Amino acid sequence: MAETVAPAAGVSQDTGTAARRGRRPRGTRDFRSTPLGWLYSAPAVLIFAGFVIVPTFYTFYVSLWHWNVLNPAMSTYKGLGNYRDLLTDVDPTFTQTLVNSLYFTLGMIVFGTGVSLGLALLLMRGGKAMGAARVMIYLPHATPLIATSIIWVWIFNPQFGFANYLLHLLHLPALQWTQSQSTAMPSVILFSVWHEVGFTTLVFLGGLAVISEETGEAARVDGCGPWREFWYVTWPQLRPVTAFIVVISSITSLQAFTQFYQLTSGGGPNNATTTLSYLVYKEGIVLGDTGYGAALAVVLFLTTVLFTLVRRRTAVGGGDLTA
Amino acid sequence: MQKENSHIMRIGPTLPATQPRRAAGAALMAALGLAASACAGGGTTAAASSASGPPAPSVTGPVTITIADAYTSTSSLGKTFDKVISAFEAKYPDITVKSVPEANYGTLETKLKAEVAAGQAPTIGQGYESFADQLEQSGKLVPISTLAGTKTPAELSGFYAGVQKDLYLPDGTLAMWPIGKSLQVIFYNSTMLSSDGLSAATDWNTFATDLEAASKGGVTGITIDPSAQTSGEEWLEELAASNGTPAYAADGTPQFTSSAMVKALEYLQNLKSKGALATGTNYPGETALGGRKGLADISSSAGYYYEDEAVGGEFKLTTTAVPQTDMMAGGNFFVLSSATSQQQAAAWDFLQFVTTPAEQAVWSSGTGYLPVTAQALTQSTMSPYLARNPWVSQIATGLDTAITDPPQEWVDDCGTVLASALQAGLSGTNATSALNVAQTACLQKKQADS
Repeated sequence: MAETVAPAAGVSQDTGTAARRGRRPRGTRDFRSTPLGWLYSAPAVLIFAGFVIVPTFYTFYVSLWHWNVLNPAMSTYKGLGNYRDLLTDVDPTFTQTLVNSLYFTLGMIVFGTGVSLGLALLLMRGGKAMGAARVMIYLPHATPLIATSIIWVWIFNPQFGFANYLLHLLHLPALQWTQSQSTAMPSVILFSVWHEVGFTTLVFLGGLAVISEETGEAARVDGCGPWREFWYVTWPQLRPVTAFIVVISSITSLQAFTQFYQLTSGGGPNNATTTLSYLVYKEGIVLGDTGYGAALAVVLFLTTVLFTLVRRRTAVGGGDLTA
Repeated sequence: MQKENSHIMRIGPTLPATQPRRAAGAALMAALGLAASACAGGGTTAAASSASGPPAPSVTGPVTITIADAYTSTSSLGKTFDKVISAFEAKYPDITVKSVPEANYGTLETKLKAEVAAGQAPTIGQGYESFADQLEQSGKLVPISTLAGTKTPAELSGFYAGVQKDLYLPDGTLAMWPIGKSLQVIFYNSTMLSSDGLSAATDWNTFATDLEAASKGGVTGITIDPSAQTSGEEWLEELAASNGTPAYAADGTPQFTSSAMVKALEYLQNLKSKGALATGTNYPGETALGGRKGLADISSSAGYYYEDEAVGGEFKLTTTAVPQTDMMAGGNFFVLSSATSQQQAAAWDFLQFVTTPAEQAVWSSGTGYLPVTAQALTQSTMSPYLARNPWVSQIATGLDTAITDPPQEWVDDCGTVLASALQAGLSGTNATSALNVAQTACLQKKQADS
């Protein structure tokens, strides 16, 4: 007789037909919805609620006030006033800040995804040095972002930096890197890709590892060159992985802060690298305009949600690996 | 930080949402919102201390005071501050002083705001005038006039005139007390100066000529950090004031579009176009000077120790006052209202002690800050230091006439927009256009904060 008790910790004990199909037998309650399941989940749920959910709602609330952080009782209600200020401020303008955020995000998605896919394809070829190469590629990602940002401040130094020294060796003109309005954001993107490419390359390597060799061999037998094989055989099978990387990159890029804080302190030359997340810090923490900073945080949150929703709507085949 | 955020964003709902659960969740949020609304609400003003009256009562028994300051213990500032504290505790055995340092004024202000908001403020805080104004407006500061029982304590008249003026808020409250001040100075590579047949400038035009003449063979006359609250932005304000109109009127109204300010920005643009000025971060002028890639650096007089270290004895370092108008810097102390009456009395004893001529001599010679009273320069403990650094007594009188930014809250915001105008101007934007944007932005900030 088959067991009818609820499976322990979500693991099915039934070995009958339903288990062979991977489904629970009818009438068996999901452990996770039982009181005991809630009890086990409670610590994590409470921590998540306390450190994520409640602060999120509180931020919405604070954004409606001219908030006095030193004496909240003296705060004055502004309604949507902070949001109006956000749209009318001239230095920087909201449009400039949003464009900077999207510039960085697009740069990370396009450049970062492209570079990591290329590296993954190279590493898949194998070879004696591939093990060492994988370590070297992943190593930057294992380093603390703040520490490497400090080092790259010196690498990008226009007078003494290693970057301009390399350009000098290649007989190329020196650049101002983070000191010029036009090159500040590309410099931050360059650093960020260097730091993140290890992680995304590993994800692509994982995706490439599960692709069947047979379709590729069949394509080669039929006379497919390397590019056509990649475009018609490999790339379609990599879509779920690519979608995952694009979503994760876009969310983390919209929220990126550390490299902007360290590489281009103050928001960059003429606000060239002032993104939404940096502006939240500058207005809310540095300048103490907490209500305005909260309004910016709400806008950043909504922008991130919008990105995610658009991505889910436009996913073409291959599904979406995010929850 | 990106990795941490990506892990958080992966957490998603996996349990089926039923109507009762949704209702419970909404009720919880509503309850939290109501609870949060109890934390804010217009109009209840915390009791502000009176401007003057009887002085703080004397210390009658053992008491401990805490000071949140910007003097990290491993630096010369921290070590000298510890010396001052030890001398104070020896004189006042009933009072124990605990210093709680932070790395810089920015971090210190952020921490103080959090502590004040949480009701865990130290006895004495340190910061700039605009922060003191915010504290006073929020009812969290005990004016010095309350502690001293008068708006004009006896020690005040011994301070340099500019230092005295710096201690008052716009409403006339004597709110702060100094420990040391600094002025902008010019550090020169004297060897480079004389080999190029140049001499230290006594006006800005000559300074520009010197920088242009020295800019050759991989050397750039000067490198500045054009970010807010750095020597680059201060230099712009000094130039404007030297041209006749300071960056702000006395009531904090910006004057960024004055002809004086436009001329100041054009002066810097001209230097950049001739290759005599470069920009950087993280004390770039000091780095360039030390690397013999710069003729001069404009920086705080309190940074002499670091400039000297950067030079490392490779060439002779000369220090002179800036031509014409100078800006004063250096955070002040203020007493927080959460302190007990005994702590307030002890705090006032400490503040008076640190500004005695003898302690000012110790502080100045140990840190490079200028003493707030000229009487310190005649102390015997100061003589060896002055013999090694004759420039100190030459520039100290500048504290009588040096300017500071007005103490209004929005002035900090306006510093960032003025820095943006400086950066825009150095990137090629027309000076008038860049400053027009800064003026508009600053007026918006003033309106929002008023």
